[in-house]
Amino acid sequence: MATPSATQPIVHLSNVDKDYQLGAVTVTALRQVSLEIAPGEFTVIAGPSGSGKTTLLNLIGCVDVATRGEVVVAGRDTGKLSEGDLTRLRLNALGFIFQSFNLVGVLDAFQNVEFPLLLQKQLNAVQRKERVMDLLQRVGIAEYAHHRPGELSGGQRQRVAIARALVTRPRIVLADEPTANLDSVTGNQILDLMQELNREGTTFLFSTHDPKVVSRAGRVIRLVDGRIQAEESVEQFQSSHA
Amino acid sequence: MILIHIALRNLLTHKVKSAIVGGLLVFAAFLIIVGLSLISSIDKSMSKSIVNSVAGHIQLQQKGAKDELSIFGQMGSNEIGYIHNFAEVRKKIEALPEVAAIIPMGIDSSIVFGGNVLDVKLEALRNAVKAGDKQQVDVVRRHVRRMVALLDDELKNLKGFSDAAKMSDDMKQGLIDVAAANQPTFWDSFDQDPFARLEFLENKIAKMAIGEDMLMLRYVGTDTERFRKVFDRFEMVDGAPIPPGQRGFLFNKFTYEEQVKHKTARRLDKIKDRLAEGAQVATDDEIKLWIKLNRSQYKEITYQLDDVATAEVKLALQTELDSKEEDLPKLVDAFMDVTDANFSQRYEVFYKVIAPRIRLYAIRVGDTMTINGFSQSGYATTVNVKMYGTFRFHGLDRSTMAGAFNVLDLMTYRDLLGYMTADKKAEIAKLQAASGLKELKRDTAEAELFGEGAGEQVEDTTNATPTAAAAATPTDAPAEATPAALAAGSGGGSAKVFARELEKHVYTQAELDGGVIRSTAIMLKPGVSVEEGMAKVNAAIDANKFELKALDWRAASGLVGNFVGVIYAVLAFSIFIIFLVSLVIINNSLVMSTLERTREIGTMRAIGAQRWEILLMFVVEAVVMAIVFGAIGCALGYSLVAWYGHFGILAANDFMSFLAGGPRFYPALPGWGLPVAMVAVGIVTLISTLYPAWLATRITPLAAMQDSE
Ligand SMILES: Nc1ncnc2c1ncn2[C@@H]1O[C@H](COP(=O)(O)OP(=O)(O)O)[C@@H](O)[C@H]1O
Ligand SMILES: [Mg+2]
Repeated sequence: MATPSATQPIVHLSNVDKDYQLGAVTVTALRQVSLEIAPGEFTVIAGPSGSGKTTLLNLIGCVDVATRGEVVVAGRDTGKLSEGDLTRLRLNALGFIFQSFNLVGVLDAFQNVEFPLLLQKQLNAVQRKERVMDLLQRVGIAEYAHHRPGELSGGQRQRVAIARALVTRPRIVLADEPTANLDSVTGNQILDLMQELNREGTTFLFSTHDPKVVSRAGRVIRLVDGRIQAEESVEQFQSSHA
Repeated sequence: MILIHIALRNLLTHKVKSAIVGGLLVFAAFLIIVGLSLISSIDKSMSKSIVNSVAGHIQLQQKGAKDELSIFGQMGSNEIGYIHNFAEVRKKIEALPEVAAIIPMGIDSSIVFGGNVLDVKLEALRNAVKAGDKQQVDVVRRHVRRMVALLDDELKNLKGFSDAAKMSDDMKQGLIDVAAANQPTFWDSFDQDPFARLEFLENKIAKMAIGEDMLMLRYVGTDTERFRKVFDRFEMVDGAPIPPGQRGFLFNKFTYEEQVKHKTARRLDKIKDRLAEGAQVATDDEIKLWIKLNRSQYKEITYQLDDVATAEVKLALQTELDSKEEDLPKLVDAFMDVTDANFSQRYEVFYKVIAPRIRLYAIRVGDTMTINGFSQSGYATTVNVKMYGTFRFHGLDRSTMAGAFNVLDLMTYRDLLGYMTADKKAEIAKLQAASGLKELKRDTAEAELFGEGAGEQVEDTTNATPTAAAAATPTDAPAEATPAALAAGSGGGSAKVFARELEKHVYTQAELDGGVIRSTAIMLKPGVSVEEGMAKVNAAIDANKFELKALDWRAASGLVGNFVGVIYAVLAFSIFIIFLVSLVIINNSLVMSTLERTREIGTMRAIGAQRWEILLMFVVEAVVMAIVFGAIGCALGYSLVAWYGHFGILAANDFMSFLAGGPRFYPALPGWGLPVAMVAVGIVTLISTLYPAWLATRITPLAAMQDSE
């Protein structure tokens, strides 16, 4: 495995198609998608509902494979990996933030964040505790470490989810509409947090259909009907929506 | 480990699922624990009942015999074969370090006539005449005369019913004799030759009165001394054990009460027991029946009372009933009409006033009783044997099954069996040859067998009484000639003397072990398992080329022995059904919960959990469930068992008490019960988890991405 350098892209897609088979009908969710994500980016995938944002994130997130084309994540061609290897890649190189937070309901905040570390089996209990508490501190909910998701607000939950995504120090954090289930104030706070974390070195790739959210991005990939319509800078995006 | 934590948390969070699954698992564990405890305890206590009363751990019978031994099985002779070489078998088997004792036995049943009241009264009359007690002679003679009159009446009635042409000559002659004895002239001239009259009454009349106390007795013919010592359930109640090596009979107290006791007294005892259990006269049909029988069968009492006793009883009953009634039957009838209120008073009066004046037991300790058997070759054999006392099998007092076993000495048993060994035949032939007689008189021949002293005494009495020839029962074929058979007879004086001689004779161990027996009980040393014992005994049988078959107590005891097997099967089956149902229900509810957790599992997969880790999570969850609910079920079951183990369960009937090995049943959990229950619950849980767990591993990480809120 090639040692990842700061200049190598974390994600590289070339001519990726994704078809879904719905009975006899083939739905093509992505067509001829090519893109690269470099370390340190804070990129948003924008587009209306049904445009293929989630599909694209799934391919990059190694939870699904492309029908055609090449998806390289952290230097590895996902089309050639076994399911176990894909799982390992997810565990070690990727972080996930979900629209509905997807915390394990029976575990408290601390345990939810600790979970990926337990799967990794690399740190001992003391190291894990330090890493988890640091992150909870960083996302601002250290005092809720022993609250279960049911006892937390949406924003607090998403903070836990962010901490969980970051705890393995992934190459990139993927987030599918991370603010869609939050009110705008809380959503903004979460975006603030993500931006701060990005400044501290974490690469983010997230999707949204919300123009206000798009405005926070460093780079915007615009999807329409499964095609990348335009790579535009934030300024361009803002002017086109003005 | 986080997985255990998740499992526990899941149990607490999914309450309905946990309640269903938990309830089933708890119930299953509970059932296994309670069921196993009950069964293994029944097995244990029943094995004690069977092993320590008559069967021993292992029984040996002749190899290739037509019927398999069935100690507690049906009565009647079954062809279980013979063992001729017991002495040798004993030597070899007892040499085994695992064997504590081996006891020869044969189980059979025979008819015993309780002897009738007329017999007893005639003996009293003879004694009174001998003693010259005129007043006593008068009283008894009047009683006997009344009895003869009643007998004559009864027989005439009988004659009216049956076809005279079909009657045997003996019977016809009997009727004529009884009619003659009922003539005033017979009694008027009694004093002229009382002994001749007594002779006539004893030999011709008394036999016509038999039949009222016909007992069917089941007995085990055995080395009584060793039997008593080896079977620790055996304990004497009345009388004394049969002296070692001597002939004798011991009644099982249960049989003795049930069959030998005066019917009216027995019924009163039963009413007493029943009332003590809380029954009421007015509502208990059986008690009502017993009262009815006691009232209608007043003759059972009045017939036995002579003039003096009649007067005494009459007075006592008049006082008790506060009545002026002069007729005793009517008084007895009224007296027996008991109620809840007066029962205990009447019961007391009965035992104080009436019981001492009647024959409370047809055969009493010290009596010589006559056993009528059917020998194996089909001839009727009759032997006299002394009744030494009663015993019981401890804890099995109320069991009809164990209570049916009486004990008889081996020698008498063999006489009844009528089976002659080649040795014995040769011995008699030798004696015949030596005496130079063409056909040795049987009594003499047998007397020779027992030594000069006995022989001489027998001969003396033989000469003194002309009825001696009649005493040697003519029904016997020569081959069936046995000492006791010779001793038996219809009341002839010499036979009784001969029987007395036999009673005193002490047989050597070699004599006891030398003859034929039908089976042997082997008692193993403490701590030796039946399986181990069987293996060792079988090896010894093979090594010595014995023509024997070994059966463990279960097989040897007949149907009862299989009882535990049957309830094991029933329990196993019901547990199986419950498990099957649990399996389906648990499986269903886990599938539902898996589906509910699709997003959660998908998320775990997305974050980086491998399939096997998801599977492991389910397995851990199953194990946790099994342990938690299994433990609860076991604890509940164990508490129940411990509770009953401490206080006992009352055995509801005599069969139950046989199973329980005593009046109360104390279940206990066998050591292996807990692991078995836990493992069983574990297996059920794991199996029912398989499918939902497999489903869970099929959940893809995509499931985490789909938004459905
Ligand atoms: N599992 C699927 N099976 C069939 N069609 C799908 C599936 N997932 C997405 N699609 C289709 O692919 C297209 C893109 O969907 P999606 O990536 O979810 O868009 P977005 O996230 O931008 O709303 C849509 O037309 C959708 O109907
Ligand atoms: Mg989407």
